[in-house]
Amino acid sequence: MSFDLAPLIANWRFLASGLVTTLLVSALSILLGAAIGLLVGAGRTYGGRWLDRVLGFYVDTVRAVPVLVFLVWTYFAFPLFAGIRLTPTAAGVLALGFHLGAYVGEVIRAGLLSVRAGQMRAALALGMTRLQAIRTIILPQALIRMLPPIGSLTVIAIKDSAIASVIAVPELMRQSQTLVGTTFRPFEIYTMAMIVYFLILYPIARGTDRLYRRLQHLGAS
Amino acid sequence: MNLDWMVVWEHRDRFLEGAAMTIILTVATMALAIPGGLALAFLRMSRRRAVRAPATAFVEFFRATPLILQVYWVFYVLPATFGLRLSALETGLAALAMNVSSFNSETFRAGILSIRPGQRHAALALGMSGVQVMWYIVLPQAVARVLPALASTWVSLFKDTSLVSIITVMELSYVSLQIRSQTFRVLEVLTAMAALYWLMGYPQAKLVDWIHRRWKVAE
Repeated sequence: MSFDLAPLIANWRFLASGLVTTLLVSALSILLGAAIGLLVGAGRTYGGRWLDRVLGFYVDTVRAVPVLVFLVWTYFAFPLFAGIRLTPTAAGVLALGFHLGAYVGEVIRAGLLSVRAGQMRAALALGMTRLQAIRTIILPQALIRMLPPIGSLTVIAIKDSAIASVIAVPELMRQSQTLVGTTFRPFEIYTMAMIVYFLILYPIARGTDRLYRRLQHLGAS
Repeated sequence: MNLDWMVVWEHRDRFLEGAAMTIILTVATMALAIPGGLALAFLRMSRRRAVRAPATAFVEFFRATPLILQVYWVFYVLPATFGLRLSALETGLAALAMNVSSFNSETFRAGILSIRPGQRHAALALGMSGVQVMWYIVLPQAVARVLPALASTWVSLFKDTSLVSIITVMELSYVSLQIRSQTFRVLEVLTAMAALYWLMGYPQAKLVDWIHRRWKVAE
């Protein structure tokens, strides 16, 4: 089999723009997912029983339905239903963020619950309000403990951004497919995309592990 | 907007066939990925570097790249480089199995390493061989310990089977998108697809929570 890198070199700008979109879509969906996750996690932990049930239903629904289905539904069906227009990128960010938010919510809830109840009681006994106690005592410890799962969720968010190619978001996966369509060099182009993803994701996975090992003692109580 | 939900009912057979294929893919992948994951875990724990290194590279590579890209890659690269002619279903199954095996191998490895070395030493002192120790002492305890993690992987896998639709495996997503383009009833068909996934996935998610509660490792 012949190996030809010429189409890759000739079209590097096209692929680089895909990489930029991948990073942008990932970053925005992580921001949206973090915002949703913080509300869901805090709501389920401190919001009482019925809020926990409602938010629990959202979380379990997301756990049951594939990202692909969220993406396709948000891009093709939701605009019909809501009477609006969405660009592929906007629909991609919305669907990915909505999906990620449930997982972030579970991580935050587990983190908050892992801080022993005595800490909250001690803070309240010292005259802090509940919000103060959560902000200054519980959350800082919980955040350190959440570091490993947050690292893996970041990796998952970037991996899932590749699925947005099915609704034609011009990210790395989609640009690679387009280029394969015009150059007929699937082996070189997909291998290249694979390597690029690996070079982004592997350091994130290993980096958060190392960061956690260094900060671990701060979350111990 | 006028909706016509009859479209969904008229195509019920195809929806159900797609859903059945989704379940078959999930079961078949897991059936391959449990032995696959165990094998990779043992290779990664080998004393020989020449055995350990390729297994580690395989696992890390499959864990740090998007599955959707792996599916394409297997689809194009296997036939081109190895002259292997596989059907879409076999290709999808191969990609899913390699991906899930990599995740399973890390689960099994963590489970095996979590069994205290004292157990191994005691069994060896009783005259068991290394293989016997692994099979009778370490593995049974390790498997019980990683059951919750395997259950979580199962649900992820169930969702991930939707990705092989891009290489025309006729599972629920592919069938639904096909019905959508034939009938143009976008909202109805896509909502039915989401509802079907929900109906299958929601009980599984709840079951996983139960397994987590039931088999939680008490520290």
